Amino acid sequence: MPVSVPAPARLRVHGTAEVAFRHADGASRLAHLYQHDPLKVLFPTVPAGEPPWAVLVTTSGGMVGGDRLDVRAEVRDGAEALVTTQAAEKVYRSAEPDCLMEVALAAGPGGALEWLPQETILFDQARLRRTTRADLSGDARLMAGEMLVFGRTAMGERFRRGLARDAWEIRRDGRLVWADAQHLDGGCAAVLDDPACYGGAVATGTILCVGPGAAGLLDRARDLLDAPPDGVRAAAGIVEDILLVRWLGREARAMRGAYGAFWAGMREAFLGRPARLPRLWHV
Amino acid sequence: MVDTRTMDMTTAPAMADGAPGLRGESARQSLLRLLTWLSPSFPTGGFSYSHGLEYAVEEGLVAEWRSLAGWVSALVEHGAGRTDAVLFCTIHNAVATDDAGAFDRAAEIAAVMRGTRELALESTAQGAAFLTTLRAAWPDPAREAWADRIAASGREATHAVAVALAAAAAGIALAPALAAFLHAFAANIVSAGVRLVPLGQTDGQRALAALEPVVLRCAAAAPLIPLDDIGGRAPLADWTSLRHETQYTRLFRS
Repeated sequence: MPVSVPAPARLRVHGTAEVAFRHADGASRLAHLYQHDPLKVLFPTVPAGEPPWAVLVTTSGGMVGGDRLDVRAEVRDGAEALVTTQAAEKVYRSAEPDCLMEVALAAGPGGALEWLPQETILFDQARLRRTTRADLSGDARLMAGEMLVFGRTAMGERFRRGLARDAWEIRRDGRLVWADAQHLDGGCAAVLDDPACYGGAVATGTILCVGPGAAGLLDRARDLLDAPPDGVRAAAGIVEDILLVRWLGREARAMRGAYGAFWAGMREAFLGRPARLPRLWHV
Repeated sequence: MVDTRTMDMTTAPAMADGAPGLRGESARQSLLRLLTWLSPSFPTGGFSYSHGLEYAVEEGLVAEWRSLAGWVSALVEHGAGRTDAVLFCTIHNAVATDDAGAFDRAAEIAAVMRGTRELALESTAQGAAFLTTLRAAWPDPAREAWADRIAASGREATHAVAVALAAAAAGIALAPALAAFLHAFAANIVSAGVRLVPLGQTDGQRALAALEPVVLRCAAAAPLIPLDDIGGRAPLADWTSLRHETQYTRLFRS
């Protein structure tokens, strides 16, 4: 006779990482750092031509129901930085409360921030609510993106049930100018297969370029997207002077590769940074 | 004593009086207004929008009435229909309960949730034309006060917001108004599909018949969805809209 064994109690975690850069003496320098387990922030030595990097590490190895991660990344007036993550974020199956990720990005006048997290992998029956909010002042520039992978596709797992909520809010000088929300819940397999919904994709992505010059790069973006790999759909457009690129991939690795190549080209065109990604992206 | 049954229906106050003898008549007036306001001949320019379907047909994703019905069904249940339906409920409830804060919040979300430039145009151009026509033919200061709140915030009213606030201001109940709005949204894209695929008129009606339960299901589900759960799960429809911007031959504005 089957015996119901309660899952071992596990403390919910609430990790925080806050990092801010300021411009001083001709360079961007760390102005503020706060980290609380399971989030840590590393500052690797960067190659020539790069702004400072902050690399977020989740030491718990992934999120379960009720976990919460808060990230705040800021470049103050005139400062530049790239903030990325050391590895893909994993969200485990759970019947518990939703996992929360709150990402707050901010850039002051003259600032330029790159938010380039690695992909988030949703295990079957994972529940994730993620909101990415950006506040830009004056002529600040932001290049930000996110990728979601539905299931551990390398081992054939599909995201059959659960919650995948991914929302964006962009504010310029305090005014909300653009919002977006992907909200996939309940039975998800049929929606992922639906020809008008995901068309069989197992990964989605979004890239935004916000700030002066972004809208003028639409042709450049379309050139970079001209020949996507098999099974990858990507398209660019302008909304509210924001350059928006949406990604759908039937194969997560292929999409990630094309997404990274596009990112490298656009960071050069938009931010004047080297057309390459941090090495940890290629591991 | 004024016999309200002989009043000019175009200037009659909202039906909220609830006088028992008028209930049937008010319901019939609501029906007439929904039929008119959401008719394909109502001058919102709906015929010029395909919601990205033009590119989906070019790509071969929609090729006959069944795939058209399936495509539109997904837009209603998972795409713009889901997002618009949640906003429709919020706006309708806010007007009906005179809750300006909830109204402003929902109108702002509606205005900034722009999946693509062409989908935003489809939604806001129709919303503006809808309110302009109502202002001329069905003047109602109470409705204008709500519409003015959006204009004063520097935002545009989307089609869903415009229809919801007009229906609520006219005392038209949420359930029929939302079902009619979603049906009109679906029928407009089906009409575009009939022209694009192209299909015979009967096949277009087959698609609409197949969409009936979808529209009813979504209209019933939307009031239960909290505003925090707003959003779509049809990114491929957004992708077709983005691709439509560079489509070589285009009949439609979206």
